[in-house]
Amino acid sequence: MTFLQLDTIKKTFGEMSVIKGVNISASKGEFVVFVGPSGCGKSTLLRMIAGLEDVSSGRLSIDGKEVTYEEPAKREVSMVFQSYALYPHMSVFENMAFGLRMAKLPEDEIKRRVGEAARILQIEALLERKPRALSGGQRQRVAIGRSIVRNPKIFLFDEPLSNLDAELRSQMRVEIAKLHRKLGATMVYVTHDQVEAMTLADRIVVLRAGLVEQIGSPTQLYDHPANTFVAGFIGSPKMNFLTAKVASADASGLRLDHPGFEGGTLSLAHGSAAKVRPGDTLTVGLRPEHLDVAATKPLLRLTADFTENLGGSTQIYARTGDETVIILANGRPDLPPGGAITAGIDPRHIYLFTPDGLAL
Amino acid sequence: MRLSSGKILHAIGLTAVILFTLFPFYWMVSASFKTQSDILASPPVWLFAPTLDHYREIFADSKVLGAVGNSLIIATATTALAVMLGAPAAFALARYEFRGKSDLWFWFISNRMKSPIVLALPVYILALQLKMLDTHLVLILIYLTFNLPIVVWICTDQFKSIPPDLEQAARLDGADQFTIFRKIYLPLGAPGIAVSAIFSFIFSWNELLYALVLTRRDVQTAPVVATSFMSGYELPWGKIMATGTVIVLPVTIFALIVSRHMVRGLTMGATK
Repeated sequence: MTFLQLDTIKKTFGEMSVIKGVNISASKGEFVVFVGPSGCGKSTLLRMIAGLEDVSSGRLSIDGKEVTYEEPAKREVSMVFQSYALYPHMSVFENMAFGLRMAKLPEDEIKRRVGEAARILQIEALLERKPRALSGGQRQRVAIGRSIVRNPKIFLFDEPLSNLDAELRSQMRVEIAKLHRKLGATMVYVTHDQVEAMTLADRIVVLRAGLVEQIGSPTQLYDHPANTFVAGFIGSPKMNFLTAKVASADASGLRLDHPGFEGGTLSLAHGSAAKVRPGDTLTVGLRPEHLDVAATKPLLRLTADFTENLGGSTQIYARTGDETVIILANGRPDLPPGGAITAGIDPRHIYLFTPDGLAL
Repeated sequence: MRLSSGKILHAIGLTAVILFTLFPFYWMVSASFKTQSDILASPPVWLFAPTLDHYREIFADSKVLGAVGNSLIIATATTALAVMLGAPAAFALARYEFRGKSDLWFWFISNRMKSPIVLALPVYILALQLKMLDTHLVLILIYLTFNLPIVVWICTDQFKSIPPDLEQAARLDGADQFTIFRKIYLPLGAPGIAVSAIFSFIFSWNELLYALVLTRRDVQTAPVVATSFMSGYELPWGKIMATGTVIVLPVTIFALIVSRHMVRGLTMGATK
């Protein structure tokens, strides 16, 4: 059942259109992540769900009730801000109790709820402290605690981890995932970090320039990106793209020409092969982690440029003509710069895109 | 520690400024302890036998104590009103967009651009026609027009430095605008509000021109009384200086106590 529904939501600031008609729905208990490069409108969209930003047109409903023009507080959502937005002059307890006091809950109920949230987040010892006496990670917990106590219908997270250092970030990521499992609440999470999106989300919404590029589970987005933008955005290091010419195409498959291919050509079976004609150009997408420098049947013939030793693996930057191909190899293959290398790939992992960027 | 020539020049400059600002103060205080002949001596007398006669004289004069009382009433009332009216106005200016905002803002500042004496006569005539001469209220109102811009100015700056996320978090927590102002902006803006209140109090306490023009006998403020000792035949400098010292002392002590906040207030918004 649809719990959160965004129906052709648009947002304009004066002349400028930042959200250009977005349709998203989420079911109860789902963890939805909005991901996209900065300026794609993901935070604006989140703030529109919260009611902090007016909706220019469209319809927004939560739990079957239209809230497009509803006051933020009446939407029963809570938000964790990137800056945490803790009230600096109040103790941790008062920070968490503020919303409950606004709702005029009895004092013992407030104590019970704050205590419960503090226990879940392991911040019981900090309740009397002021925010400035807390570390970044502790502030983050308090901010999450403040949203838990109100028992909201939807939790909104606006890049909550981007102010933390790398180690703390991955630790908090796991905790947020655990929290989601424990509370079973609907969560909408905004990030520009595709690792956070992949690890946390039940469903990812990829946004670009105010439009939805693709919605799907992390696996769907990784395995079946709808276009080159999603293909390049999901996965790290990002997918390699080579522009190849169609030599021949029929129902059984197609043949592609590119100077980087072994023998200058690649034959491939593809369900949509009949849609292309000889002479068309296609973009071939190859994920760095799928390329194998030790493959017995190589696909690519490249010149090694540069390698980065990541300890357990090696990131290889190679060239074919003026196109760069990144390969993520296990171990530490010995590749002198300028030397010739080959790389193979399972044909199932070859992605094809039309010249306008859409998946074939 | 090595002293660079820059530091030495800096120290000399600072000393010059301190001497320049403190000398009149010294002159006033020292004159209040001199006899009339020592005060008028030329060249000036630096070493003298101090006397408390002038202080005895002014404290015996009920006019002086009454005037200090008037000053207290007017300065306190002005400050309270300026903060009560100015802080909410500053909140609106700091956080909302509305038509005419920049004009309003400029009007607040422009109030401070004119020289007070320009308006002295019109204000006098106005007060005369409204039969408000020689009342506490007329001085409170006129000082308010001078102090409100300062309060609005400092508080707006202070409120602007409060992250908007806090207000939005409070909105999501269910707080209305008034609660946000009271529970978030007032406590967090307290330093700025305090500074503006201090400025407002000191201004009202020290003001002479309008107090001189708008009062007769009943509500003379302390600075007016100090100058009223001058008559055609006599210039009792000792008495005037003693009164001046009595007037200045409380605000000076007060200002020294809160000087840390005042410096913060003056540079508010300048860094960050």
